[in-house]
Amino acid sequence: MTSELSRWLKPITSLRLTIFCLACAMVLVFVGTLDQVHIGIYEAENRYFRSLFLFWTPPNTQLRIPWFPGGYIVGTLLLINLIAAHLARFKLSWKKAGILFLHSGLILLLIGQLFADIFIDRESQMRLDQGQTKNYSESLYHDELAIIDTSANDSDRVISVPDSRLHKGNRIALPADSLEVVINDFYPNAALVSPSQLPGPAYPHLQIGPMADAVPLDRTHKENDRNQPAATVSLLQNGTPIGTCSLAAGFPRPVNLQGAGKSYQIVLRPKRFYKPFNIQLLEFRHDRYAGTEIAKNFSSRIRLMDPAQHEDRESLIFMNNPLRYRGYTFFQAGFENNDTTTILQVAQNPSWLVPYISCALIVFGMLLQFGMHLVSFVRRRVTS
Amino acid sequence: MKKIVPWAVSLLLLFWAVSKMVPPKEKPGLDVRGFGGLPVLAGGRVMPMDSLARVSLSEWNHHGTYSRADKTVIEPTQGLLEIFMMPERADTAKLFEVSNPDMLNLFRSPDAHGGFVLFSFSELKPFFGEIDKQAGLADGTEPDARNPFQRGIIKLRAGLRLYLELKSTIQAEDSPDFGKEIEAFGHAIQPGMNALRDRGAGKPFSELDFERILVFTQRYKSLTQVKYASAIPNPQRADQNEGWQHISEALLSAIRDGRVPEAATAYGHLIEAYRVNDAAAFNARLRDYQEYLAKVVPEKLARPKLEFAFNQARPFLQAMALYLIVLVFALFSWLLWPKTLSKMAFILLIGAFLIHTAGLVVRMYLQGRPPVTNLYSSAIFVGWASVLLCIILERLYKNGIGSVCGAVIGFVTLLIAHNLQLDGDTLEMLRAVLDTNGWLATHVVGEALGYSAMFLAGLIGIIYVFRGVFTRSFDEATSRSLGRMMYGVVCFATLFSLVATILGGIWADQSWGRFWGWDPKENGALLIVLWNAIILHARWGGYVRERGLALMTVFGNVVTSFSWFGVNMLGVGLHSYGFMDRAFGPLIGFVVSQFAIIGLGLVPLKYWRGIRARQVQVPAQPLAPAILPAAAKQ
Repeated sequence: MTSELSRWLKPITSLRLTIFCLACAMVLVFVGTLDQVHIGIYEAENRYFRSLFLFWTPPNTQLRIPWFPGGYIVGTLLLINLIAAHLARFKLSWKKAGILFLHSGLILLLIGQLFADIFIDRESQMRLDQGQTKNYSESLYHDELAIIDTSANDSDRVISVPDSRLHKGNRIALPADSLEVVINDFYPNAALVSPSQLPGPAYPHLQIGPMADAVPLDRTHKENDRNQPAATVSLLQNGTPIGTCSLAAGFPRPVNLQGAGKSYQIVLRPKRFYKPFNIQLLEFRHDRYAGTEIAKNFSSRIRLMDPAQHEDRESLIFMNNPLRYRGYTFFQAGFENNDTTTILQVAQNPSWLVPYISCALIVFGMLLQFGMHLVSFVRRRVTS
Repeated sequence: MKKIVPWAVSLLLLFWAVSKMVPPKEKPGLDVRGFGGLPVLAGGRVMPMDSLARVSLSEWNHHGTYSRADKTVIEPTQGLLEIFMMPERADTAKLFEVSNPDMLNLFRSPDAHGGFVLFSFSELKPFFGEIDKQAGLADGTEPDARNPFQRGIIKLRAGLRLYLELKSTIQAEDSPDFGKEIEAFGHAIQPGMNALRDRGAGKPFSELDFERILVFTQRYKSLTQVKYASAIPNPQRADQNEGWQHISEALLSAIRDGRVPEAATAYGHLIEAYRVNDAAAFNARLRDYQEYLAKVVPEKLARPKLEFAFNQARPFLQAMALYLIVLVFALFSWLLWPKTLSKMAFILLIGAFLIHTAGLVVRMYLQGRPPVTNLYSSAIFVGWASVLLCIILERLYKNGIGSVCGAVIGFVTLLIAHNLQLDGDTLEMLRAVLDTNGWLATHVVGEALGYSAMFLAGLIGIIYVFRGVFTRSFDEATSRSLGRMMYGVVCFATLFSLVATILGGIWADQSWGRFWGWDPKENGALLIVLWNAIILHARWGGYVRERGLALMTVFGNVVTSFSWFGVNMLGVGLHSYGFMDRAFGPLIGFVVSQFAIIGLGLVPLKYWRGIRARQVQVPAQPLAPAILPAAAKQ
């Protein structure tokens, strides 16, 4: 490497930068962990670890002042530092071999996690009642406004608007039949109440049905709670309204509309992730230790049906033993309805093997490095 | 002569500790110990009666003791016998601890100020309605948001319920003589079944027989409402835990089988003998029952018996006492008779470690699990691993530091374990996600090894600061060897915590579907890894020398204690099964003390007594560069 280049690289290869990044990471992890008490794991993850900066909003303002690097910046900087340091000081020698293995394992791990973090929306669940078959899982945190064209006999056509685009007054053009959606009103989180429970007729609410009104709530960050938005939307075709309705994700019942000889359904529901195969729940079991309520095991016996791949077989999913199929992984996550509904966590992580490889590299590297230290230490003691 | 003294003294002390673990000779009278070893199914596992007694008592009061109305304290098993067989006397025993002032006020206790009051079941009886009402109200609040009064009242309700259930473990509590009752029941079954059959067939039947069996059935059905521990083995299925029955289930199934199970009859006889205080008859009946068990459930007897002996021996308490003695010897060895005292300390340290190991191994055998399964066992194991490291250090350096560290960490971790023990059954069954020995043995044990090494490094750091600041025994060689020890231990800690954390990620990937979820416990482990990485890189870069290393390892104590206990107190996330909030005060105290020590270590070197002593000895020489921090050098 030319001296010019190495001088230019020096600041980013320095050990000081490594220590600075590690210290920043410690601060992030510590503060982010404490804040989970208030905002829950998911929100803390987004704010501290899956972000470029931590922001501070002075009271009574709309300002967002960055005051600390977020997880992406710290992670990337550490990665660059690590790679640059090895490029600049690379020497093939036995003495450095352990460090080299260890760090390449770390680099692999960091890249793999960064990749998984940025490109994969991981949190979705499949809820199956006994005997039920589904080909989709639902997001834990996000909702969608789905416009479904039900005119065809053999299949539906679904257009999904993600909840990030649902704001009051927003006008969204849809990629079919010159349709447009206008969001007349939107509550990010709402509760469903019966009309008699309303404090008064002037209290803000959306009429979801004859028996139910949605009233706005603050957004929740609690661990076992989710936000359930409600909205009033109009569907337009060629600029003319073909229907207006109020929808609530807490009550995802499709509303039927007609337009230009086609029938549509419109529904606000948890965001769906469709799979190219079907899963049916055959049996859910919840075993307890004798004479107690302590769970010993949860398991779901499912049937996997994938005509395209000529697969039709049973599989047992239980704790610590997921089903991996076509890049998806199904985990036993929970149960409902008196042990008749199973909840399977669905993850799609093409880089799931990376941690295994990097773990092997790191362990090997550390054993080599510290082993050599130990041997030389013992040798010195023996000679002295 | 000089060689014999340390061996003789330390072996004598060891002998004393071991002798305390051997059970004393059985006194004449009731064979309480025999009863304490009987198997019973509770909390999902077959345990000895003695453990049932201890676990229950620890639910009721923080000393886990059974004190009678006259304030005499009796053995847990004796207390359990009283609850089982003479409930009217047990009702007056002072079992239920109430410490919350608002609760004491509610019960109109005269000494409501400070401390705690032990109530008996009878004393609380007038307040049952109020307790139920208050606990019902508290149920409406989410567990995390409950105030101490609400938590206390819910715990008291649970304790009272447990007491009621225990009273009906082997008999119906209101029976004047349960032995006679089940005998009568046994005689009533056949005629009753005949009457039932004839009645169903429309034939004439004995109304009396019919009524009688109906009354018994009703009675035992209502008894199932208070079922908790199952003491009756079903000979056909007793090899499985599901084969054990509560007395009510056993008697109800007797109607089907046509005869009362032998175990129920045996307990009936025991109650009879106990109530008339006939020790000879009681012991004879007990022996019969033991022989019966040996015949029908031989495979279920070994572990409860061993567990009972383990409860009696209390190896961890003996080890604690020995660690304390080691500490005294090792500390004094720095002042006088260095050779003799440090040798004694080392021999005793190994002795204490062996007792510690024996306890750990027995627990592993009893549970059939790797050593760490809950917070309690993590304390035992962290201590054990630290002491092992200390023994190795002491063998290598022979300067007493290993002995001091081993003694301190061994003692403190066992003390922590002793306090955690009061939270319930320490051999409890594992929740579904933890039910995997492979991961428990690798990820969990690895994390615990990381904790051990972190605390050990931190303690050496503390010794560095104290010896440097306060003593004259801080020559260059000592400083260097302390530095080397810290470095070696930090390397060890890094290896285990990094590998264990990644293994944890892989476990999470297999059971929850993500490698890393930023869960508090995961973050705690990550903090340790990051801090270790900082220490090692700072040392490799030459930014810190021995003193900096020492202060960084002391801060490592803070990081480790946060990861071990602190994150559990947040009550967030998938790992919060080790939840406890009682330790909050001590944890804060510990953290503050560590910062104080770091502050002490930051005192300029010219005020360090150890350094000044060095300058007096060799006034011409400048300070050795090795002990100068990087900043002072520039």
